[in-house]
Amino acid sequence: MSTALETVALTKTFGGRHALDAVDLSVDEGSVFGFLGPNGAGKTTALRIITGLAKPTSGTVRVLGQDIASAGNAVRGQLGFLPDVPAFYDWMTAPEFMEFVGGLFGLDRRILRQRTAMLLDTAGLGGVTTRIGGYSRGMKQRLGIAQALINAPRLLLLDEPTSALDPIGRKDVLDMLDALRGRATIFFSSHILSDVERVCDTVGILNRGRVLTQSSMQDLRSRHGGHRIVLEVTETADADALATLIAERSWATTVSRDGQGVIDVLVSDAAAAQHELPSLVASRNAGLIRLEAGELTLEDVFVELVGEAI
Amino acid sequence: MRSALVFARKETFEILRTWRVFVLPAILLLFAVTGPLIAKYTPELLSAVAGDQFSSLRLPTPTAGDAYGQWIKNLGQIGIFALIIIYGGIVSGERRSGTAVLVLTKPVSRVAFVVVKAVVNTLYLTLLLAAGTLVTWGVTALVFGDAPGGPLWSSALVWLVLAVFYLGLMTLFSVLVPSAAGAAGLGLGLFVVISVAAVWRPVADWSPGGLLGRASTLAAGTASDQVLWPVLVSLAVAAAAVAAAAALFRRQEL
Repeated sequence: MSTALETVALTKTFGGRHALDAVDLSVDEGSVFGFLGPNGAGKTTALRIITGLAKPTSGTVRVLGQDIASAGNAVRGQLGFLPDVPAFYDWMTAPEFMEFVGGLFGLDRRILRQRTAMLLDTAGLGGVTTRIGGYSRGMKQRLGIAQALINAPRLLLLDEPTSALDPIGRKDVLDMLDALRGRATIFFSSHILSDVERVCDTVGILNRGRVLTQSSMQDLRSRHGGHRIVLEVTETADADALATLIAERSWATTVSRDGQGVIDVLVSDAAAAQHELPSLVASRNAGLIRLEAGELTLEDVFVELVGEAI
Repeated sequence: MRSALVFARKETFEILRTWRVFVLPAILLLFAVTGPLIAKYTPELLSAVAGDQFSSLRLPTPTAGDAYGQWIKNLGQIGIFALIIIYGGIVSGERRSGTAVLVLTKPVSRVAFVVVKAVVNTLYLTLLLAAGTLVTWGVTALVFGDAPGGPLWSSALVWLVLAVFYLGLMTLFSVLVPSAAGAAGLGLGLFVVISVAAVWRPVADWSPGGLLGRASTLAAGTASDQVLWPVLVSLAVAAAAVAAAAALFRRQEL
């Protein structure tokens, strides 16, 4: 499988502070790559460099096989990009903006009209003829996604594409990205873990300018403990003592609890944990209300990794 | 090339569909209409206001040359001020609003982005000046009965060179200074410096500083000596400023 996007030792420094610190990323062609990180991690800076809007302090970026430092219109013609806060010409209407952008890509007028109609319909902006200046933030975000797709890009770069959308808008955008799977490489940054978990097959986690991990979703889960078990005991029980007891077991990776008798356990061996937990509860004379076992979520992995890094 | 034409089309529509379509045309139209009227009726206005106070003072009979002179004088001061203020954000406006980011991640070079803006607005200024000069010509003919074209159009052409010089500089300042107000301040400061420096003959003979004086001389119907060098120097500086703006913008981070 060829590489759509690759960064090697990518570093960006602002006044002595590393916004990006030797970032190595490799995004396979055709994959949906989630670029995760808390606010201020360096995601937008990385995207600005990848799109050629900013220059790295050191390191290299290859986009669709070409060094971005020397890439010209040929590479930009195969990219789709949505910035974190897309800005438009307020005096244009959405179809006018789409035709302007499509014109920049040199699209044939007939194809451009067809794509404009189709993409605006998909973005929920079909038939909207008012000027963009009167749009809500969500409408602008949806128009931003539509314009990023006008050239049927080989590599689609999206910076926080769902951050300004309501739940239905978010679902529509995620469905749209899901439908593009296999037809384009999608690289999107986000701090909304559930969105990434829903559509991405590969993730990279960035914190304080450093890549903490990059792997497939499946590998990530299996590498970081694999399972979680949520245990709820009667309020009369000594949940603190029970949590301490559980934490001493070899299969318990992390144990946390709230004040309501709920104990959250990340486990390395789910079978052993499920076998031993009821007896541990019984040994503390506690009543078992609930015992739920499930896969580790991306949020668990994220918190574990970023928490460690902090 | 095609993307540059598409961008040029956008620039043109941006002029036609925003405040840009009103401000400069309104200023020029005002000058075009009032210039000949002020020239014609200034002596009568003065005698009406001052009565017998200036009875010993004889004002010459106004001519079409006075009307043209009024038009060029207005253009040379308030017209250039307006141009400097309006074009303070010619490039930085798109950077600040964020629209440059969407455009420049498409197949449009940064050089084309800057050059197209300068070229489209030069054409716009040329059209506006032509329209304004036509109006002045027409009003002068109506008011004075006689309106020779040569002095008017030659002086307007010299003013156009001055306008292109300042447009080129404002393109450069707008790349150098992120704020439109800051760039306009720089432009106005330079205008004052050049105007004052033009009092010294060599500056007037060899730089844009001499253009206004020569435009006024031409408007009065007098052949002006040494117009060529200030014109050539101004056009060369304007082209160099746009080229420098494009080269700098290419290296800037957005």
